[in-house]
Amino acid sequence: MLIGVVPFASAFIYSLLYSFGVVGIVNDGFTTRFWESVLASGEFFRAFVYSAAIAAVSVLISVGLALWLALKFTQELNRKMLSFVIYLPLAIPGVVAAFFTFQLFSKAGFFSRLSYKLGWLQQARQFPDVVNDQFAIGIILTFITVVMPFFVLLFLNVYKNERVEDLSRLAYSLGAKPSQITWRVSLPVMLRKTWTLIALYFIFLLGAYEIPLILGQESPQMLSVLIIREIKQYDLEKISEGYVVAVIYTFIVSLAAILLFSKRRKATKVIVDE
Amino acid sequence: MACKPTSSDSTFDPTDASWETIEEKAQGTTVNFMMWQGNPPLNDYINNFLVPTLKDRYGITMKITGGQGPEIVQLVMGEKQAGIENGQVDIVWINGETFFQLRKIDGLWGPFVKQLPNSQYINFDNPFINTDFQQPVNYMEAPWGMGQFALVYDSAKIPDPPRNLKELETYVKANPGTFTLSNDFSGMTLLKSFLAEIGGSPTSLDGDFDEAKYERLSAQLWDYLNRNKKYFWKEGSTFPKEHTKMSQMFATGELQLVYGFSEGGIEDKIEEGLYPKTARAYAWDNGTILNSNYLGIPYNSGNKAGAMVAINFLISPEAQYKKQIHNGREARTVLEINRLPAEWKEKFENAPKPSYSPDSEKLAKKAIQEPAPEYMIRLYEDFRTEVIEK
Repeated sequence: MLIGVVPFASAFIYSLLYSFGVVGIVNDGFTTRFWESVLASGEFFRAFVYSAAIAAVSVLISVGLALWLALKFTQELNRKMLSFVIYLPLAIPGVVAAFFTFQLFSKAGFFSRLSYKLGWLQQARQFPDVVNDQFAIGIILTFITVVMPFFVLLFLNVYKNERVEDLSRLAYSLGAKPSQITWRVSLPVMLRKTWTLIALYFIFLLGAYEIPLILGQESPQMLSVLIIREIKQYDLEKISEGYVVAVIYTFIVSLAAILLFSKRRKATKVIVDE
Repeated sequence: MACKPTSSDSTFDPTDASWETIEEKAQGTTVNFMMWQGNPPLNDYINNFLVPTLKDRYGITMKITGGQGPEIVQLVMGEKQAGIENGQVDIVWINGETFFQLRKIDGLWGPFVKQLPNSQYINFDNPFINTDFQQPVNYMEAPWGMGQFALVYDSAKIPDPPRNLKELETYVKANPGTFTLSNDFSGMTLLKSFLAEIGGSPTSLDGDFDEAKYERLSAQLWDYLNRNKKYFWKEGSTFPKEHTKMSQMFATGELQLVYGFSEGGIEDKIEEGLYPKTARAYAWDNGTILNSNYLGIPYNSGNKAGAMVAINFLISPEAQYKKQIHNGREARTVLEINRLPAEWKEKFENAPKPSYSPDSEKLAKKAIQEPAPEYMIRLYEDFRTEVIEK
């Protein structure tokens, strides 16, 4: 507990002081100037909404796909070869995954050249925009590749541990249709057991750095990219603005995490009481 | 002592010491050199020539760490905030922007350059050496390399590349999607050339930062870019974060008009096989920026004597000559050839000429000075708010 909290708290306090100009060698004392300018520019809120949308879409698609795979291919996934293929992305760091995506999907990338060679495109430049693009398709694609295998693994385990198969068989013998079994037995059981993890993954993706750095646009940017950009900027007098963004972000995420866990405790308590 | 050579003499202040004493103190120490490691031929020069030679001749162990511009400033700022007396780094490779920032936080130690024996070969009356982004260098940093910014095109694809803003407008309309600006140091350097052209002459941005002039000229520049960005790469909806990415896109043909420091930097890229042999570099009609890059010593270096000896070697005729001929990197030395001993003068004069880069003397006829650092800072900010976010 102490090992986790002390460095985190001191970093937070340092950022807080920096954001008010109390520390930092180019700063000269307390000011709310940096907070005002960050709140006025609206860039933070745009970045926040943008990041949240990307993280939400990525988590939803990953969870959806993983559930489908886990329920549809339960037997096959327990076989060695296939599970290896599915779990391989788990071992790939974010930077590498982002470069993969870039090499494969950029306008001068593998698929673009392939389509050009096959005569589908007149010019390599006509290849659809999926890297550094407006809708963050590249980022979402890479997030899904990196995150989905974890969910497959998770759901397979829950499937086994919660004996979903037995429950399904029981429901079937009681006359439930296959669709009813999926929607009313398997899915609710599996989601109830995993939703905190799903929410945590959302927060994790919200703060992702390398993948949006390589595959994102210059504006709007995802939160971590924005924070690092502000902190490393040339204008030393504005470095504090980066700390303002970091403080707001940390505050929101911590609040979300606290809510999440206190609710979970209550929920488990109710179940136990019942 | 033996296991911590750098700290052995961290209290020694070489300010008034004789060169013999400094060399003596440097013997057997470790010098930490923080530099940008993005150039393979230069890394090769450092690892296979500089490091072993320093060890042989001066008993100095040189350790290289990666880092440039903002990272260097962050490090020195962090150490200053933490009150660290014996810093991690003894030499930093910087140019005007970082120099400006480091001076602002009193992050550099000096002046030290006059004490280096090899500084006699440097012409400090040359404005491209004694002035870094319109700031007097005052011997606080030693020049190490010099290069002119140039535009790069493939002569096999574009017979007649644009040489001014008007021609650029015509060019992007005819070849949409093949030009862009990187949102980094290189991109801003090109914008400075554009700004100078709008100002009407190669010297229009010289002197101290002028807010009114900046406002007037930059408004026209943003208007120009916003008017034409729909013909840029990705219809101007975004811009590449880094210049290195543009080099790759030039190599794949996605972009057809790019730019770079060091006479466009095409020599080693062609030799590496990244750029086609038909790639050529040229200057803007109104001129492109010529600047020097420098070596400085952080205020809290634990081994100032070692740093001085190493820098003195880096600006020696021998090391500069090696650097010049090494893989065609950087056509220009910071030394004044006429001041060199006859033997070296001859060597420099007969040095192999680059095979693809433009003649640096000719290019230098269209050289402009780096404007004051505030121009860069403002261009960075305003390029984001006025162009990228619009």
